[in-house]
Amino acid sequence: MFKQITNLNGYEWYLIASLLIFIGFFIIVGILLLTMKKDFIRHMKDLPLEDDGDIQVSESQES
Amino acid sequence: MQQVENFNYDNKIVRDFGIATIVWGLVGMTVGLLVAVQLVWPFMNFELQYTTFGRIRPLHTNAVIFAFVGNAIFMGAYYSMQRVLKARMFNDTLSKIHFWGWQLIILAAAITLPLGFTSSHEYAELEWPIDIAVVIIWVVFGINMFGTIAKRRERHMYVAVWFYIATFVTIAVLYIVNSIQIPVSLFKSYYVYSGVQDALVQWWYGHNAVAFFLTTPFLGLMYYFLPKMANRPVYSYKLSILHFWSLIFLYIWAGPHHLLYTSLPDWVQSLGVVFSIMLIAPSWGGMINGLLTLRGAWDKVRSDPTLKFMVVALTCYGMATFEGPMLSLKQVNAIAHFTDWIPAHVHIGALGWNGFMTFAVLYWTIPRIYKTELFSKKLATTHFWIGTLGILFYAIPMYWAAVVQGLMWKEFTPEGVLKYPNFLATTLKILPMHMLRAFGGFLYLTGAILMTYNIVKTIRQGKLVANEPAQAPALQPLKHREPTAHRRLERKPITFLIVSLIVILIGGIVEMVPTFTIASNVPTISSVQPYTALEIQGRDIYIREGCVNCHTQTVRPFRSETVRYGEYSKAGEFVYDFPFLWGSKRTGPDLHRLGGKYPNKWHFDHMMDPTITSPGSIMPAYPWLFDQDLNISNTVKKLRVMQQLGVPYSQENVENAEQDLMAQANAVTADLKASGVEIQPQKEIVALIAYLQRLGTDIKNEPQDSE
Repeated sequence: MFKQITNLNGYEWYLIASLLIFIGFFIIVGILLLTMKKDFIRHMKDLPLEDDGDIQVSESQES
Repeated sequence: MQQVENFNYDNKIVRDFGIATIVWGLVGMTVGLLVAVQLVWPFMNFELQYTTFGRIRPLHTNAVIFAFVGNAIFMGAYYSMQRVLKARMFNDTLSKIHFWGWQLIILAAAITLPLGFTSSHEYAELEWPIDIAVVIIWVVFGINMFGTIAKRRERHMYVAVWFYIATFVTIAVLYIVNSIQIPVSLFKSYYVYSGVQDALVQWWYGHNAVAFFLTTPFLGLMYYFLPKMANRPVYSYKLSILHFWSLIFLYIWAGPHHLLYTSLPDWVQSLGVVFSIMLIAPSWGGMINGLLTLRGAWDKVRSDPTLKFMVVALTCYGMATFEGPMLSLKQVNAIAHFTDWIPAHVHIGALGWNGFMTFAVLYWTIPRIYKTELFSKKLATTHFWIGTLGILFYAIPMYWAAVVQGLMWKEFTPEGVLKYPNFLATTLKILPMHMLRAFGGFLYLTGAILMTYNIVKTIRQGKLVANEPAQAPALQPLKHREPTAHRRLERKPITFLIVSLIVILIGGIVEMVPTFTIASNVPTISSVQPYTALEIQGRDIYIREGCVNCHTQTVRPFRSETVRYGEYSKAGEFVYDFPFLWGSKRTGPDLHRLGGKYPNKWHFDHMMDPTITSPGSIMPAYPWLFDQDLNISNTVKKLRVMQQLGVPYSQENVENAEQDLMAQANAVTADLKASGVEIQPQKEIVALIAYLQRLGTDIKNEPQDSE
């Protein structure tokens, strides 16, 4: 599998650059995630469940 | 204390999109069943141009993708967006324009595609006036969505809304870039890209249409409806953020895996492979997040048909997104590409992921907006099992057929010749599998009909709550800065849109700009000449009849292919191909080296009735090509547009186009006459034969010393 990505006649640069871009991007998203507050996440998670006053919501609130 | 505001959710628009989903779903699936049957019994083409496979297959794909799945997206998005943003849709008139505009576009597609108006780009076949309508209606949807976001009563956008935003912005970019064309007439145009570049643009679009029309909006639906159905919050909100950004970043690079071993530059192919493999991670992140949301709720799956549909939908998503990267490995692709594996793979996604989630959302939403219970849970469960069987009956025979045929194509005898030199032998071998596939499609359609009955009954017993009252506190201005950047981002829709746009542009730019600008990526071949006027007309008939749906025009550099078809295809050979016609499936053999292989008379007979030259062939007959006159009057216009696009026609070529065309047509008819058949030179078949005889021949005229 790796042979197909190692021999690119001088075009390896595109591959390396794109991987670097992705890693950089991934790290930024990772940092954003790690610094997120717990209560905020809980609030966001519950958003779909709290939108209407029908029977189901009250059931979930108990647990 | 915050002021509580009263407002209404618009359920009518949700209902309208829901009904459209069901209606177009039935149409799309029925046409799908028809094309499946045509591939076994060619008489089902009815020898009518409007019902022949090449024109009907795009109707099936467009109906299922844009009509069935498209309406389902809007139904689910309009329902969920209002609720997580705690606001009515921005503008009821825009909602209506969106709804009716979209249905009219679908209607236009359903009329123009059978008439043969097609651009030939897969999943973007619609001609330019309809393209413009699509863009306008898409923008209407965007305004309506961002308007709603702007007047929301919840400060932060729930993850489902990000998926909708990414869908909106990316589809807009993809559709516009892939549809840039110069019109020749009201329903005929040429893309501004040709050959290799056109292929790269098309599959950048094609792959990401899958990503941003069939995947991201459905992930948005999953993040709203699954927690609702299971009545518990999503498993991990952080995972949803991580997989959202990774998914939209990675997907956009993966398009070139549709073009492995073609004449696309190697480095672009490799980028496509690497990013496709990486895509497993965010895709499975989404699937796992969905399945784990059901933790502790699995008992509900036993009794609740909507959750049953969701579980199979997520499982199919996981399967398809594992299979995709595997198919992108060059070694696997070498065998699987162009075979039935690809439709099987696509249908795991379409029937399982999109279809089943749509059914779940319909079963869940319709009773709620009609303030009633589902008419019959039992019937929905029956639908679930019939549908699941349908998927299995579709996919398993197709995988089987793919392996059988893929290996037959490559098999050599010990003496070193192809074991199955006649392509047709491999086709006939897999016909029983195609019958089973059609049966699978029949089961799936039956399930959908059961659902229609169930939903109609549900609607009858309830009453639509067109305006559902709701309450929420008004949004207060922020008093202090929020602690994290992503949190700030989640309440800024326009910034969010721009960041998403940048993220999805990176991949496209890195792959496309060098392919378009660096000459060495498409080495020219001096002997390759533009098509003649007659050949251009013949090529446009080839496009009109949708030959590209079954025949590829790209020979890959394998011994099994060069022995079967001839010299492998080079990038420089396609520079005058507006659009490229490489195709993606070999239901019939590759045609790139067809030119000069058979006499004109062979093509004449073959198009009249394929079984004359190839007994047992499943190719439809094309009798109308022998009756219809070629529209010669637009030849000059066509050549002039080509000239604008950079094809080196001289002024003389353009001005004398009609005379040149007739001269060449007369030569072809004279040759046919010598073989014992008479046909008038202005008939369409003559142009088609001229084009087929030109295919892949230029390279043979290359001076020997050049390389």
